[in-house]
Amino acid sequence: MGAVGDAAGESAGVRQRLRRFLGLDDDGVSTPLVLLSGAIAAAVLSPLIWLLLRASEVPTDEALSLIGSSGDVFANSLALVAVVTTASVLLGVPLAVLTVQTDLPFRRFWTVVIALPLVIPSYVGAFAYISAFGPDGALADALAPFGVQIPEVYGLGGTALVLTLFVYPYVFLTTRAALLSFDETQLEAARTLNVGYLSAFRRVILPQILPAVTAGGLLVALYALSDFGTPSIMQYDVFTRMIYVELNSFGDGRNNATLLSLQLLTVTAVVVALESRIGSGEDSGYGAAASSTAMISLGRLRWPAMLLPALVSTFTLALPVGILTMWFVRAEALAYEVGGRAFEWGFALNSVYVAALAAAATLALAIPVAYYSGRSRARFAWLAERATYLGYAMPGVVLALALVFFSSNQLAAWFGPSVARAVYQSLPLLVFAYVVRFLPQAVGASRSSVLGVDPALLGAARVLGEPPRRVFRRVTLPLIAPGVLAGAALVFLTTMKELDTTLILHPTGFTTLVTYIWRVQEGGYYGRAALPALVLVVVSGLSMIPLLVQGRDK
Amino acid sequence: MTEEPTSKRRRRLLASIASAGLVGVAGCGGGGTETDGPGGDGTDTPTGGNETIGDAEFSEFRGSGALAQGREEISGTRIEDLPNLEGELTIYLGGGEGGLYRDLINKLEDIYPDFEATPRASGTADAANTLISEGAATPADVFWSVDAGSLAAVAAEDLTTELPSDVTDPVPDEFHPNSEWVGTAGRARAIPYNTDALDESEIPDDVMDLPGSGIAGDMGWAPTYGAFQAFITAMRITEGEDATRQWIQGMVDAGITEYANEFFVSNAVADGELRAGFANHYYALRVQAARPSAPIDLAFTSGDAGALINVAGAAVLSASPKQELAQNFVRHLLSAEVQEYFATRAYAYPMIPGVPPVGGLPRIDELNPPEFDLAKLSNIGPTVDLMREVGVL
Repeated sequence: MGAVGDAAGESAGVRQRLRRFLGLDDDGVSTPLVLLSGAIAAAVLSPLIWLLLRASEVPTDEALSLIGSSGDVFANSLALVAVVTTASVLLGVPLAVLTVQTDLPFRRFWTVVIALPLVIPSYVGAFAYISAFGPDGALADALAPFGVQIPEVYGLGGTALVLTLFVYPYVFLTTRAALLSFDETQLEAARTLNVGYLSAFRRVILPQILPAVTAGGLLVALYALSDFGTPSIMQYDVFTRMIYVELNSFGDGRNNATLLSLQLLTVTAVVVALESRIGSGEDSGYGAAASSTAMISLGRLRWPAMLLPALVSTFTLALPVGILTMWFVRAEALAYEVGGRAFEWGFALNSVYVAALAAAATLALAIPVAYYSGRSRARFAWLAERATYLGYAMPGVVLALALVFFSSNQLAAWFGPSVARAVYQSLPLLVFAYVVRFLPQAVGASRSSVLGVDPALLGAARVLGEPPRRVFRRVTLPLIAPGVLAGAALVFLTTMKELDTTLILHPTGFTTLVTYIWRVQEGGYYGRAALPALVLVVVSGLSMIPLLVQGRDK
Repeated sequence: MTEEPTSKRRRRLLASIASAGLVGVAGCGGGGTETDGPGGDGTDTPTGGNETIGDAEFSEFRGSGALAQGREEISGTRIEDLPNLEGELTIYLGGGEGGLYRDLINKLEDIYPDFEATPRASGTADAANTLISEGAATPADVFWSVDAGSLAAVAAEDLTTELPSDVTDPVPDEFHPNSEWVGTAGRARAIPYNTDALDESEIPDDVMDLPGSGIAGDMGWAPTYGAFQAFITAMRITEGEDATRQWIQGMVDAGITEYANEFFVSNAVADGELRAGFANHYYALRVQAARPSAPIDLAFTSGDAGALINVAGAAVLSASPKQELAQNFVRHLLSAEVQEYFATRAYAYPMIPGVPPVGGLPRIDELNPPEFDLAKLSNIGPTVDLMREVGVL
């Protein structure tokens, strides 16, 4: 009798602990939500299995010496991450404040322009900087007669500069979303207490936008850690270069590359876990609908203030596009024969189509994870959310090869060749790859918005008799919309420029802007990249408008 | 004719290009204003049907620039002698010369209405790694890549089938070390030099002698460029690490100038900024095509890493159920017409001796490349380490 009672009590205890682990007793958390979030996390982690399989083929002594030899480049990688993240925050946060909270002229225009550098592929941006400032570069040559010495662009300085210029929009967009949701009456309250803006910013605004700033900073850090192109072009020896060299060495190289990728993922896991200590916001609820009503009048500085975004976009947009145009003109003058089908506008359409699909799919999967982890402090909620970040740090080539293996080889073995043929090189598979790569961008941006929602508001809605689903739709969703849309914008832009996974997994015959740019660059016809790169920037800019103009007026 | 020093022969050829007399013979549009119209023109060209090079079919494949004019006689298996291409073929492209390969595939589809090819392009290493990951489940029938290392890597995984000897026989042995793949077009390492500033005899015959030659300080290179790293890899393997380190250090000490890529190096040579440089051979030809009067010429060292020839090549995948069609496709790549296409449009080295390279360069069997297994070129890791050690990367 007693034993049965104990067992019952024990199983009740286990169930209790499980409920706590899953956060099922937290407000707004339901079993389907937990299961869904867990499934999403598992799906995006699945390519890791391939990495483990391949890496396990590396003999132990070789593995140890490989890992041992990566010490220096590892320190280099961490230095790069630290510099780029700090610089991006220093650049992104003021620009967000300027475009959301002040009466800067043409704010809508600047918002789009400031977010756009994210779409410049690193192989375009870094190449432009090398050909402008590098040895024998166009600008270096032009300025030399005036005695202007351009500092060395290679190495940590140049790499960090170029990376920062093209990734700070992560911080800008996430911070902007948080600022949009900021309840300006709080600032007015601070003002009535005779607190100046700077002081109010530090004491009232900053604590509330901190989760968003750290979310953006984390995306920047992980991007800097996993970027292939910029460090290799700017000749800075980082971890990804080792992976690249191994991948290009064939033979054991592929297995070595996966081993190194796992090492990179381990570091990522540490960074992601550490970030959650600073990042996870305090209960700083805000309950305002998105608004960017100007709160600060710049006065006489209103027009001069445009210098800051103008200067930034000169270096992030005008310079690369200008250099490409110069190449274009030179190539025309040289008139060498160019093969390949000429540029088609359909490429731009393909790019927008697949980027929109990726943004929509990512968003649909990000909202449950973000909502679950924003509402619940349970261990499992934390794990599910943090797990989504791992795919982001997986180099695109490695991820793509993992999916090649699963969707061709493995699917054919399990379900027969016809199933593999249907899945492999299909559009859904490509979109899935984008989701794995970019889910954390949407999760990070959305989650910081969920954290900002005042639980008391939801409680009030419930008390008024609204069922949870309607509370989510009518109260939560409008409040988190700016963050969710910022996440969509991030995914859209990064998908537009993603090269490696697109090249390896695209449906045959599906040419996008970046694969076209790759095709002409690969043949050494740099000038031919000018038009498609320009189209990439303009089309992305236009596509951003619906995402970024929300919350303009109250 | 062939004993004549190549540079002299070339200069004469370039001069003859300028004379209107020869231009008409090529039959692809006449007098200097022709455009690259596949099959388009031919309306107002009063060619007398010159039997070898005025052929309508050749003009379809031949490029249009100055370098493609006044071609010598061409021999080799003609497309009309090959079996017809019929059916669908999936071709993985590693690289693809900025779309030239796609254009060629389109041309073959035009010739054979029942032939449909689906190309998929990615980087050479990406394509090889993709094929290896796919294994037997690959949808590809043919792997056609601009880098020998990628072909060798796929062949090493037992994913290719042997090509019949009639396919590989016309190609010199060093460009198909076995029958698993065959070279389709080559790119030679060369030393472009400014003909106003330097005489060919001043350039050493041995690349290892360059640091002490007195011209090293007026030379340029592009250390970040893949083909340059392949050249250093070949040097590292044939001469050893120490000799290679000393060689790089010697060039640096002499004051060599760095450029972003080898097209810039070749341009700087033509402009007189440099007396000579290190580059793939076709960059000098691109400069020549744009500026026929530019004082640039090519020198080749002998039997060393500086004379390395890397090739693009093709392999038939063993998982393909279309072995015969795939082999016939490779046969087409080695036909006289297609070799002429690579020679006159990509300025590549043709793989069959019957088709000369443009610009009066020595033919493929007249060059003296080192004895070297091209598959080893993919081992760039130690090369990059070495270059970093010396400080050029």
